[in-house]
Amino acid sequence: MHHHHTLTDNLKFPAESRINVAFFAVAILGILLSAIGYIVDTQQFYFSYLTSFSFVASISLACLFFVMLQHVTGSKYSVVMRRIPETFASNIYVLAILFIPILFGMEYLYEWVREEKIAADPLVQHKLPYLNEPFFLIRNIIYFVVWSFLGYRLYQNSVDMDNQGDIAELNRKQKVLSAPGILLFGFTVAFASFDWLMSMDSHWFSTMFGVYFFAMSFQVFFAILILVSLYLRKNDMLSNTIRIPHYNDIGKLLFGFTVFYAYIAFSQFFLIYYANIPEATLWFKYRLDGNWAYMTYIIFAGRFAVPFILLLSKKAKANLKLLGGISVMLVVLHFIEFFWIVQPILQKSELGVHWLDFATLLGLSGLLLGLFFTKFKQADMVPKNDPYIQESLNKH
Amino acid sequence: MSTTNKKLHCILAEFENPAVLIKAAEKTNKAGYKKYDAYSPFPIHGMDDAMGLKESKLGWIVLFHALIGFSGGLALQIYTQVIAYPLNISGKPLLNLPNFVPVTFELTILLAAFGTFFGMFFLNNLPKFYNPLFNSERFEKVTDDGFFIGIEAEDGLFSEEKTAKFLEDAGAVYIEKVYED
Repeated sequence: MHHHHTLTDNLKFPAESRINVAFFAVAILGILLSAIGYIVDTQQFYFSYLTSFSFVASISLACLFFVMLQHVTGSKYSVVMRRIPETFASNIYVLAILFIPILFGMEYLYEWVREEKIAADPLVQHKLPYLNEPFFLIRNIIYFVVWSFLGYRLYQNSVDMDNQGDIAELNRKQKVLSAPGILLFGFTVAFASFDWLMSMDSHWFSTMFGVYFFAMSFQVFFAILILVSLYLRKNDMLSNTIRIPHYNDIGKLLFGFTVFYAYIAFSQFFLIYYANIPEATLWFKYRLDGNWAYMTYIIFAGRFAVPFILLLSKKAKANLKLLGGISVMLVVLHFIEFFWIVQPILQKSELGVHWLDFATLLGLSGLLLGLFFTKFKQADMVPKNDPYIQESLNKH
Repeated sequence: MSTTNKKLHCILAEFENPAVLIKAAEKTNKAGYKKYDAYSPFPIHGMDDAMGLKESKLGWIVLFHALIGFSGGLALQIYTQVIAYPLNISGKPLLNLPNFVPVTFELTILLAAFGTFFGMFFLNNLPKFYNPLFNSERFEKVTDDGFFIGIEAEDGLFSEEKTAKFLEDAGAVYIEKVYED
């Protein structure tokens, strides 16, 4: 019964692998197409860009949260997989650069910056102390400084451990960083979601929107973790390190946070629907009108009903093929849900997909993955000197 | 005190540690014994496989109850709000599935919890106020540092000498015959 596992796998991502270059090529293609799109249809470009930006940002932010959570709780099971979210989170500073185009497109994206809208709308006037360009800029600078710092430090401390730093001291630092980090994360992510997405409809507000954004992101985080791990496994990397018991744990969490997502998303809808206050219900009315309604039902089925039923049994949560399939579906639907949040503002009654949606998605997700694999190559794929590595390896 | 007129319940064997216990349980299972159990102060990972236990049926019991709660909750609301007492509430349709979600959800969870709780009792033969094993003083160690296997006399393969010998060979440090009442 006592299997003692040791790190027998090669911990270096193969240097000859060109996967990061391949993703960068996809990114360049996407960015070039997006640039053409910007000239052809500037407004559509900004809406598509915000959709894709939210998609990549939410994934990176969920990774940051997961890393901090592991340190705060002193989790052991996840150590062998932790370098994956650490690496994603370390690249958050790039999101700050990717956010700059949105600042230039505010005129298109946010009605509360348009003079004629402000003049004609008392509700928007009332919200001006918060919704104004300088304050928006200051807030976003704060968000990105906080996230970039946390992501970078947590990664750097972890890599320093690999290189035989003072393990106990570095581990203490990780905890000291993560505890206030989680608090800051809660506020910054909630307000970022209000600023980026909720404020597009300047009349609408939902106090749950921050949690909703987080619930979406954290569900899809587990899907991303599973997919990256499966990619490594398929290429004979870390097969004896990230084993079935680890997938089983992540599968359970994926299931749990699928329910959490549904609970939050439905609660947000339900309270607004039940209370029936016009400026709150309108947001959902657009999304239940015309063919937008189909997308609403697809999101409900794909992000909750189908994965819930498929993952219900104990065996399913350790079935790699099933976990992989569900993860792909969830990642696709995560993008679709951002599309569903952002684009009805532009095309209120008829759902239409523009090629720019795909161009910006290719550009930004190609960049996200290209940067991820570039960094993943540079350090060991497992925090090999983490104080809990042995417990994590022995997981059964 | 004569023990000859008492009915033998089982042969109880104590083992030194969980590792020996799990090996002994595996041997007992392979030898073909059916009516036996392993006792330890804490759950031992891998014991289910060693004893050849099938997966618990509890999951199916819970699912069944959850489905009753789900359909019962829906049926209750559809009957009361659409058929029996159709009231117009802020102009919303009578058959209003979003409105039915909280009660349906609660009843699903409630019945699933009942199914889990009572199903666990049922599968574990609980409540059980008396077990012949309590006649063994040595067995009290099972809540502290004792690791036991008991093979019941009712087992088809059971024979007083052979079973005792078998357990001894499996590494038992102490063997006791436990009688009923």
